[in-house]
Parts: sequence; C-alpha cells; structure tokens
Amino acid sequence: MTKLMEWLSGLTVLGVLWAAVTFDLLGLDPPEAVLQVSWPLPVFLLVALGCFSLGTVGYRVATFNDCQTAAAELQAQIREAKTDLQRKGLRF
Amino acid sequence: MGLVGFSLLLFIYYTLWVIVLPFVDSDHVIHGYFLPREYSVILPGIAALLLVLFVGTFIAVVMWKNRKPKKTQ
Repeated sequence: MTKLMEWLSGLTVLGVLWAAVTFDLLGLDPPEAVLQVSWPLPVFLLVALGCFSLGTVGYRVATFNDCQTAAAELQAQIREAKTDLQRKGLRF
Repeated sequence: MGLVGFSLLLFIYYTLWVIVLPFVDSDHVIHGYFLPREYSVILPGIAALLLVLFVGTFIAVVMWKNRKPKKTQ
C-alpha cells in the first residue's frame, strides 16, 4: 500500500470514529459535555498543529546561532560577484 | 521568542475554550471570557480563508509583475 493510501485510510478511520460520536450514529447517546468537545475536534487539532508549527519556527529562528566565518565568506563572495558582473556590463 | 509566547498563549486559550469549558458548570464566571462555541470553528475558518486569499493574491501580484511582453520580429 502506498503512503498516500495509508494516510487516507488512517484519516478515514478517525473521521468515521469522530462522525459516530458527534452525530450519534451508533445510538450510544454520549453525555452533552462529550458532544460539545467532539464536534469542534478536527478544527481544534488543525489549530493545535498550526500553533505547534508557529512555535517551532519561532523558537528555531530565535535560537539560530551566528556563523561568523560563513558570513565573512559570503560577504567576500558577494563583492567578488559584483565586480565580476560589473565588468561584464551589468548595472546595479 | 515573541512568536513562541504568542503561539503558546493562543494554544492555551483555544484548548481551554474547546476542551475544558464543556466540563465547567454553566454558571461559572469563566464562561464570560469566551465567545459561544460556534465561533471556535468559525474564527479559524475565517483565518484560514484569509491566509489562502493572501497567499493567492501575493502569487498573482508577483507573477503579474514578472510577465514579459512577447517579442515581435
């Protein structure tokens, strides 16, 4: 089975479980509080994933170390490229 | 670090709203700090729509600026 089919079948199973609880398809009669938690659950998981992604990106950006030697090397390469291109006629 | 704090705050508020509040008595004072439950689905839906619109508009603007007129002999 391909990865796509795996993901789709997993999502389908979870979706059927969610629908069975939210719309009371099995006649289980869940308590009111459970129903109130259940129906926004897919959106809640998406928002939680979004928050986690945002937080991870923010954390990684904030803790990214400066690379002094790489920065100096890059500046030198930029200067070299500029002079080279100017000699070949490109105007900045 | 501000982004981390903001996403943490958003996550805590949204978790309280969706997961915790249904198990709290309906006459507790905390319910006054949260909108009706319908908005917990509507507001992220609107945010997702705005995000898609923004990304689509950005791509359209960039592609429009980079169009080259056809060369004629």
